Amino acid sequence: MVNPIFILILSLAAGFLLSIFEKGGRKLSLTVFYGVLSFNVFVIAEWFYRIVFLSEPALIINTAGFTAPLSINLRLGLQESFVLLFTNFTGLMAAIYLFRKFIKSHISSLILYLILIMGINGLVMTRDLFNMFVFMEIVSISTYALTILTKTRDSLTAGFKYMIAGGTASIFFLLGVVFVYYFTGNLNLDFITQSDFSHFGLISLFLLAMAVFIELKPFPANGWALDVYQSVNSGITSVIAVVNSAGIFFVFYKISPLLPVHLLHILGIAGVITFFFSNLMGLKQTNAKRLLGYSSIGQIGLLVASLSFTIHYQTSLIYLIVGGFFVNHLIAKAGLFWLTGIVEKENLKDWGVLKNNKSLLILFGVLLFALSGLPPFPGFWAKWEFIKILTQTKMFWVVGTILLGSLFEIIFLFRWFTIAVKGDIDSNEKEIPFEFSKLFPIALFSGIILLISVAIMKSYYDFTLIQLLPIIAVLGVYLLDFIPSKIKGFLSLIVVGIYGYYLYPFESNLQLFFGIIFIVGSAINIIGTLNRKNLSQGFYGFLLMMIFSFGNLIIAKTYLEFFLAWEFMTISSFVLILRGNKAQMASLMYMIFSTAGAYLMMVGFSYAPALNSNSVLINSIANVQLPVLSIILLAIGFMIKSGSFGVHIWLPEAHAEAESDVSPFISAILLKAGVFGLLMIGISYIKNTPSFDVFYFVGWFGVITALVGAFLASFQEDAKRLLAYSSMSQVGYIVASIAILSHLGWLSAMYLSFNHMMFKSALFIAIAGVYYRTHTRTMYEMGGLIKKMPLSYITVLISIIAVSGVPPLSGFGAKWLIYSSFIEKGWYFQAGVLFFSSGVSFLYLYRLIHTIFLGQLKYEHQDIKEAPIWFIIPQYIFMAGIMAISMNPNLIIQPLNSIVGHYFQSAILIDGYNITSSLGNWNGNLVMMVTMGVFIVPLLFLKLYNGKTQKVEQFNIVYAAERPESPQTTHIAHNMYAHYRKALGGWGKPRIWNFWHEATEWSHSFGDFFRHIYTGNGQTYILHIILYIVVIYIILGV
Amino acid sequence: MIFALILGFALLLIGIYGMLSQRNLIKIVISFSIADTGTHIIIVAIGYLRGRTAPILDKAIDIANATHKVVDPIPSALVLTAIVIGLAVTALMLSFIIELYKKKKSLSIDDYQELKW
Repeated sequence: MVNPIFILILSLAAGFLLSIFEKGGRKLSLTVFYGVLSFNVFVIAEWFYRIVFLSEPALIINTAGFTAPLSINLRLGLQESFVLLFTNFTGLMAAIYLFRKFIKSHISSLILYLILIMGINGLVMTRDLFNMFVFMEIVSISTYALTILTKTRDSLTAGFKYMIAGGTASIFFLLGVVFVYYFTGNLNLDFITQSDFSHFGLISLFLLAMAVFIELKPFPANGWALDVYQSVNSGITSVIAVVNSAGIFFVFYKISPLLPVHLLHILGIAGVITFFFSNLMGLKQTNAKRLLGYSSIGQIGLLVASLSFTIHYQTSLIYLIVGGFFVNHLIAKAGLFWLTGIVEKENLKDWGVLKNNKSLLILFGVLLFALSGLPPFPGFWAKWEFIKILTQTKMFWVVGTILLGSLFEIIFLFRWFTIAVKGDIDSNEKEIPFEFSKLFPIALFSGIILLISVAIMKSYYDFTLIQLLPIIAVLGVYLLDFIPSKIKGFLSLIVVGIYGYYLYPFESNLQLFFGIIFIVGSAINIIGTLNRKNLSQGFYGFLLMMIFSFGNLIIAKTYLEFFLAWEFMTISSFVLILRGNKAQMASLMYMIFSTAGAYLMMVGFSYAPALNSNSVLINSIANVQLPVLSIILLAIGFMIKSGSFGVHIWLPEAHAEAESDVSPFISAILLKAGVFGLLMIGISYIKNTPSFDVFYFVGWFGVITALVGAFLASFQEDAKRLLAYSSMSQVGYIVASIAILSHLGWLSAMYLSFNHMMFKSALFIAIAGVYYRTHTRTMYEMGGLIKKMPLSYITVLISIIAVSGVPPLSGFGAKWLIYSSFIEKGWYFQAGVLFFSSGVSFLYLYRLIHTIFLGQLKYEHQDIKEAPIWFIIPQYIFMAGIMAISMNPNLIIQPLNSIVGHYFQSAILIDGYNITSSLGNWNGNLVMMVTMGVFIVPLLFLKLYNGKTQKVEQFNIVYAAERPESPQTTHIAHNMYAHYRKALGGWGKPRIWNFWHEATEWSHSFGDFFRHIYTGNGQTYILHIILYIVVIYIILGV
Repeated sequence: MIFALILGFALLLIGIYGMLSQRNLIKIVISFSIADTGTHIIIVAIGYLRGRTAPILDKAIDIANATHKVVDPIPSALVLTAIVIGLAVTALMLSFIIELYKKKKSLSIDDYQELKW
């Protein structure tokens, strides 16, 4: 147990003596240098351990033989030791990162570095205001000097701007300090209280606070900081952005109890504004380090805001929120700044080099996901709790601004990520050189942030293993990634089986139904992935993560558990989609829309009343009266996920561009998560009907989605896009049926959900097989595959019959139920629109089967074979399912009847095969028999009496009426429904797409507009600072 | 000592004005120095109490009544430190200017705005 004052003494002494040690060679001075830095870490770590685990009281160190306030005293309590442990450790890591630089640089840089770290230690520990000023200046001067560790003209310019800005701020700090002394006769924080200040005396606190606040880089008085982040050596930038920021932020924390509440609130709002604008301006950035600078400034703004708005809440919550943002941002930012120094690509566009270096890419991913505030990283929990507090205190403007800012951040961070994974790469690009000293700190920090995440989940939230399962899946499979993918696939199948078995006892009714869709459906679809040949690194990890989050969704007990599973689902599906060849744009759009939806849900959940029982959310939510605002936000969130009209534009891209064996998961299963969510709010809605009928509008959205989806599907050339739009349309039916809020409506919604899961999986796998053989998804490039791929043809045939709703297959029942429920509800017009869109869906279904399987076989497809067995097996499992429920609808109608019976009075009567509703009856078995009869009798007749049929060979042009050599585009299959498109007139324009495109353009233009305040002129930056202080002063109205 | 206080604030404002209006890097640093000096004068002025003597305990002052006879020593102590720090910052700024001048042969701040937006 070493007195922490030795950190200051030893660092200073070593700093002074380093130039003497240098005479003994650089090895000696480096040993001393790293020795002192490590010593600091150990001393603080020990104190931290004592304070946290042995509950020792905070240590107060008096100096010069007097007690405070006569002398300066230092304090080392929980907060101080935590911040110091973090800063010293980061300082050590940054020094290791800079090792190669330090071998060659002048000895003065080592000295400056030591003094800088010493200054931070003093700054954090001291309780004396003037002493704080001194340490702040020590830190600043050494930082200024270190900005030119790599001396370029840019770093010199930036350093100079930094100096004059910092100098200006320090003048205000000094003034503030002496005026505090003038008004209170004291300089020690322990002896000054807010009440010591007269009204006029507040000016001193104002000056003090503003000086510290300027150092925290508020918008727009922060241009100097951006230049520094952009141009200075990455190692030093990480110190400035992380170690210095942490120290200054802690100063702000220390003086915050003195500040009047309204000043604190103004600063909090200034922080929120900073967060918003830095992220908005970040959209236009192309320089990696400057982008990180923008994000850094924004995050510090958020940190200040979180402190200002939560300062009167209980300590553990402050630790989670402020501490969460603090740790999350600083660790991620340090790691990312270090990465920029390794990759050495200024322009974001060139970051595609990362894909050749898997380990760097993974580290990049971890840090970037952390920075985005996604689970399981600390920022996620901090954001959740922070938004909850803000929502409950009805600070909606602040919530909106923060979340919109976060969304911008997601956009530019994930754009960057998708470039790193999928971006173009120069063929003569050199490999990134491996330097252990640079890689080690990044790897360590990524590990630490993961550990902290798990620690928060285990200790703060008491989450069990099951909630951690999605992360464990990714990490576990990562360790097994050397195994061939087929074995991994089989193992995954087994694991999913075990998981499903484990989950089974926790499920009942509705949960069990969705459990079958999610888990059993996924398991069957996994068979399709067994066709993978190479290692498929990372694939099964994220696939399992997605399946586990589906499961966790249905057994979630609290809003947070639900939201956590939801976010895990988003992350994993994003990564899976990104694996597609051309999925850069598609996955980014998916991420942006999903995040926007998730934020709406977050607010919706935050605003919802607390749950008062310990059962699963889907049951306990029935006892909660959700406010209208919550219902609206949640409904939009779920409808984004299910691809409703207006927010659907991500859907065709994501479903089509994902790898072909991933698409069935995304399209047939993932969309049902939105359905599940809508049912969940429906359950609360029917028990506690709110004043405003939200579901009436949800119903309309569903109907319009069904119609638009069907039309859009008809106009596609790409088979997978066609299927994607078809999914959109089908889920539209489901959403509309849920919105009916009746027994029949929900029955049809669930029936169709189940049916859709089966036929859409089968269709996507069939198309996967076709794509696997033909290497094209463009339908008019195919044709006549019926002879080559008969099994796939049968699947598609049966599936499209099931989709279209003609007898005898299961789709007929679905349609019968849906129309019955709409008519029963009295929504005749909606029923009419749905009926019309069913007609439209024949167009795309016909196009699908005709263009791919019928007509003439293309020359280049002469030699192709049936799809691989791994594609055929799952197709036929689903076919068996479809046939089973078509022959005997009671297999599914009966259980659904009892499930829905928990929520509504049953509206149907089941008698044998006969199902009777108020509008009539349907006997699925009889329909099947009759249709079969209608089909078989003429067939037999033709066989018997018309036996001598003439076979038409392919090149018998007279009979085929088609010239195989002609360009494909003159064929009917190309732009098949052009006439319908024409008939639609102006309605056929991609208005929604244009809307979102414009929204993107506008936000980028705004970002571009605002960032022009950073003229690059140092003087303008000083003007910003002065004006900023004046404006806040006027707002404060002291 | 209201005059010193006014002088200090005047210097501070002049300095800030200079920092905002001068284009020459060296003049900006001089302005910064003026503003800094203004701050120092303000500090001293705050500690000054009319009719008292220097806070040096020797034969001239009896220790029992010392607190009523001397000016407040704290601001004087503070200002010494502040002057030293100001000196260091000014020196560092000037050395940056030398380096900048070596790179681009210009002393106008307008010539150093490549980093922006």
